[in-house]
Amino acid sequence: MNKKMIALGFEGSANKIGVGVVTLDGTILSNPRHTYITPPGQGFLPRETAQHHLQHIIPLVKSALETAQITPKEIDCICYTKGPGMGAPLQVSAIVVRVLSQLWKKPIVAVNHCVAHIEMGRIVTGADDPVVLYVSGGNTQVIAYSEGRYRIFGETIDIAVGNCLDRFARVLTLSNDPSPGYNIEQLAKKGEKFIDLPYVVKGMDVSFSGILSYIEATAIEKLKTNECTPADLCYSLQETLFAMLVEITERAMAHCDTKDVLIVGGVGCNERLQEMMRTMCSERGGRLFATDDRYCIDNGAMIAYTGLLEFAHGASTPLEDTTFTQRFRTDEVKAIWREANIQKI
Amino acid sequence: MAIVTNAQSQWQFTCGLEVDFGSEENASIIYATLAIDKELQPDKVKRQMKVSEGKLSVNFEATEARFLRASFSAFVDVLILATKTIEEFGQGIEL
Repeated sequence: MNKKMIALGFEGSANKIGVGVVTLDGTILSNPRHTYITPPGQGFLPRETAQHHLQHIIPLVKSALETAQITPKEIDCICYTKGPGMGAPLQVSAIVVRVLSQLWKKPIVAVNHCVAHIEMGRIVTGADDPVVLYVSGGNTQVIAYSEGRYRIFGETIDIAVGNCLDRFARVLTLSNDPSPGYNIEQLAKKGEKFIDLPYVVKGMDVSFSGILSYIEATAIEKLKTNECTPADLCYSLQETLFAMLVEITERAMAHCDTKDVLIVGGVGCNERLQEMMRTMCSERGGRLFATDDRYCIDNGAMIAYTGLLEFAHGASTPLEDTTFTQRFRTDEVKAIWREANIQKI
Repeated sequence: MAIVTNAQSQWQFTCGLEVDFGSEENASIIYATLAIDKELQPDKVKRQMKVSEGKLSVNFEATEARFLRASFSAFVDVLILATKTIEEFGQGIEL
């Protein structure tokens, strides 16, 4: 009875493959991951990314178990990302999890990637019921919990904010190591001149694709004539995109009457975004909760932890239902572990 | 009759493989693992699998060679992954 519940979690929905071991109180026993880094100017494609995951997943499982110093016997459930994400990379985790579940006779829990980011952010920062800004290379959503589910208050109507940044990094042929967004952030610190860009907030939603097209065209033109530097462009792009995100987050806060904000997802490690959001929160008398790259960026532990929460509340996924899906919205998941909290109070 | 002839010619590209796992249990694990993911374009590629005497037999039928190649290649990748997972974690790791 005193034994802590332990979960093994697999994440591989984009260009990171990660395996994590966690306990129900959120302690991370191990969380190794490997990132598929493409040459400057190139993005990652599903097939090549899946090949990367195929090569690294088994060593990562071994490493996760060794670091955590556990045997398969001690694991209570095996969790994997069901979606959203790229199909072929998602399949790699699903296959390994199905085999391990049968070999070790352990139940499986399918996890929504977005919900996993939120739960990881909540346990790491201690934010109880914040408005969540989930920003990454594939997703941009403003989320708040209401009546059993994480509801999407606002989101991008085209590409994700991280995708906009990544693709602009390709235009400038910045390195993708450790990530294109990180290199944009570093370059933006040297920017001096602000270049006006379109600002596209539509109610609670945002749009980035037009801004990307605009800055792509502007970059080629203005860099040629030396009207600005690549650093100026990075700075202007960040300021514009993040201002839009802060605006829709602030509106969601007013709507939910919540003062706390939690930023999760890969773009969430951007310190400039955190700074802008912190300013807005403090003006409203609230707090900003954010994490660093260990938890913000996709990892296995967040999947393990979220799956374990579900498992501890009686849910698991039968083997024949352990599919994966490219589209899986945040509000499709019943957050049963949060309902249980309400009953306790 | 015409329909039958059409149906026959529609699935004219075929390919099969058989893997001997030497164990009914392992072959069944692989079968159960791979059977969950259906072919993405069932109107273009069909896949049939069966297990007997520790062997997994797979048969593909496709309407065009390129669909057959794509499905077969993707299938072999995950088949190898599932097999490696059994090899690495099936024995040796103490339960």
